[in-house]
Amino acid sequence: MKITLLAESLQKKLSYLNHAISTRTDLPILLNILIETEASGIKLSATDLEIGIEITVPAEVVEEGSISVPARSFIELVNSLPNEKLTLFLDKNMLIVESKKTKSSFQTTPASDFPKLYEDKGAMIASVSFVGLKKDASIVVLSSSTDTGRPALSGVLFKKEDEGFLLVGTDGYRLSLKHHTVTGEGSGAKEEMSIIVPAKVVREVLSMKDENQIAIYLSRSSNQIIFEQKDVLLVGRLIEAEFPNYERIIPSDHNSKASFDREALLKAVKICSIFAREAANIITLSLKKDMILVSSQTPSLGENTVEVEAQLVGEENEIAFNARYLLEILSGLTQNEITLEMTGPLNPGVFKIKDDASFLHLIMPIRVQQ
Amino acid sequence: MTKSTSLSSEQLWIEVLAEIKKQVSTANFLTLFKHTMLLSCEDNIATITTPSTMISDLLKKRFGKEIKTLIDAKTSGDVELLFITKPLDRQALSEEKSGPLFETESSGDKTNKLKSQPLAVGHLPRVRPEYTFSTFAVSGSNQLAFTAASTVSKHMGTYYNPLFIYGPVGVGKTHLMHAVANEVYQKSPDQKIIYITSEEFTNEVVDAIRTNSTANMKRRFRSASLLLIDDIQFIEGKEKVQEELFHTFNILIDNHAQICLSSDRPPHEIKKLEKRLSSRFAGGLTVDIEAPDVELKTAILQMKAEKFGHNLPTEVATMLAERVEDTRSLEGLLLRVITQASTTGSQITTELAQKALGIMKEERSSHIHAEDVIRTVCDYFGVKTTQIKGPKRDASLVKARQVAMYLLKEQLGLTFVEIGNLLGGRDHTTIMYGVEKMESLVENKAKITQDIMGITKSLRG
Repeated sequence: MKITLLAESLQKKLSYLNHAISTRTDLPILLNILIETEASGIKLSATDLEIGIEITVPAEVVEEGSISVPARSFIELVNSLPNEKLTLFLDKNMLIVESKKTKSSFQTTPASDFPKLYEDKGAMIASVSFVGLKKDASIVVLSSSTDTGRPALSGVLFKKEDEGFLLVGTDGYRLSLKHHTVTGEGSGAKEEMSIIVPAKVVREVLSMKDENQIAIYLSRSSNQIIFEQKDVLLVGRLIEAEFPNYERIIPSDHNSKASFDREALLKAVKICSIFAREAANIITLSLKKDMILVSSQTPSLGENTVEVEAQLVGEENEIAFNARYLLEILSGLTQNEITLEMTGPLNPGVFKIKDDASFLHLIMPIRVQQ
Repeated sequence: MTKSTSLSSEQLWIEVLAEIKKQVSTANFLTLFKHTMLLSCEDNIATITTPSTMISDLLKKRFGKEIKTLIDAKTSGDVELLFITKPLDRQALSEEKSGPLFETESSGDKTNKLKSQPLAVGHLPRVRPEYTFSTFAVSGSNQLAFTAASTVSKHMGTYYNPLFIYGPVGVGKTHLMHAVANEVYQKSPDQKIIYITSEEFTNEVVDAIRTNSTANMKRRFRSASLLLIDDIQFIEGKEKVQEELFHTFNILIDNHAQICLSSDRPPHEIKKLEKRLSSRFAGGLTVDIEAPDVELKTAILQMKAEKFGHNLPTEVATMLAERVEDTRSLEGLLLRVITQASTTGSQITTELAQKALGIMKEERSSHIHAEDVIRTVCDYFGVKTTQIKGPKRDASLVKARQVAMYLLKEQLGLTFVEIGNLLGGRDHTTIMYGVEKMESLVENKAKITQDIMGITKSLRG
């Protein structure tokens, strides 16, 4: 194997590859990356068995081949080199990385020891814009549970719709739902489908560096999903579980509806969370005629209230939430005109974006003892 | 040594896994074999399912030969292995709870749940009736033992005889032993089942010798159809007791009676145990139970909380599970949280649990020294203590340093200034930033969480 390439083109891509490198040292091969030559460049792969990442980097291939090397030191070395031409070649089982003034050699492991990331990509089900997906999926994945003990909740539901996907995430205390529209060429899924993608995989998709179009491939037989950009590919396995019946819990009606400015409420909640910290993080929202009174109290510390301008339709009402949930959704959204709909202090509160029926966020209230 | 081709593929796989487990580290075993199954083994083709292509491929490359050799040996055939990817089999997981959002509108009356289930009429002496297979939380760390025990209760004296279960304290050995006894008793109450701890066994032997009634005692034990002896390691060095057990053992095996033993270590590690006994102990199936992983501990906590009539939010359960190793202290902690919640009439929240945890930490962490923490962190990340205390700020060093800050705060409760001094005279604001950063990473379950758990384990360990 012998290749030459620019250090910079490799450096740009390596940090993302790093996401798939295992932190656990018990399977040494997973601490390696696989380097393979291709027609017009090299392909580097890494996996922690949960996700796998493949990146391609343009390079001049002098001699074909493949080899696997220790990931951390390889990445660290490449990142610390100046941007000049690098030559990588094999010499007696060592991988030599040579630049103008440095020469480093790495211990290697045969490429055949490295696990294959996937058999075949499967069927392409959609091609979506990165920016659009990022905007929509990020406010959904924040509701997903981080608890892998409840598999269905630790993922995001992708369900085919006429104009794209329905995305739903929930951890049992809150729920985000967003209709993600896919426009343009290759829009939407072609077949009936409803899959659960691990939240971790979704977060990794959103952290891709480039803003290129993303192609999504699904392989039912090997239970895998692939997100591919021009020269970056992410593979994850699907969660095989029953997604909870979210439709049943979305309230069809409400008694009170308050419209307010997102940033104003966010600020108020931030202030109140100072006093909520010691008291189970409970923040009370009192929906009044022309304002929302945000309040919190800790018996040993004190209490505070903040007024937020709002327009109320329906009866005055009161509801208490965990401050963290409020902070996460309010800072996750970008739109500023938000509404809160509720029926009573014990039923979920529904946050919506004004004039946008494609999104809703549900939070289970905290029962406060009067 | 059951040499039969009639082994079901499920049992065959259990035996294969038991062998493989001896050769690989636990972490490896869990990562690679946790959700694997032997789907079928027919016409010399063994079909093995795994949850992903990557795992299929890695298994084929790393363990293909071993698996083939083991299956060949057990089926006396010449099989070819076929690895296929199949969705996870979730049978082992208890039914999934979706959280309060999805619960039906029957709010309020939690008191109903307080009524415990009526006990079956009459139960075995010394056996706790509530320790059954259905109340045993199963996950990767104890699945083998669980399946082996339930197989034994269904096919007494045929498959694995004796069944030898070993593992550290609080992992559920006794629970499984009781579950076997209960299961057999439920199905055939007329069977003679003896459950005894090795200490009681010793006492009986000594008593019998003293009162000259050894014949009675022999008759009692040797007529059993199921003999379960808990904590067998305590017969260490007791020659007369070992001799008695040896003869009882032989007779029971000849009678096709089932024997189950539990211990805190494998047979060959029990010192001062006669060779002939230890080889007999190992003559059946020896399975170990590992310390439970976080998922399992979370499940256990929730099952226990339910027993007390409380609903424990998963985030609280996970938090407790992550921070406490031993299942018994976990139970104590849970009781404390529940009591506190019901006396103050509040809900069980993360904050409440953290307080209870704080009290416990004060009780236990005093024996860990700050320097131990720093050394362990350095060992783990492969950096030198002088580096971690030094001025350099390479990414890898910073990571190790921040983990150290976090652990010093979290585990020892040192002040920011103290930690700063320990880590080469850093400013307390630097420490505050580091600790906060790690806290948010841990909260978001970043990769680093696994590292931290690993380090905590070796600190305690």
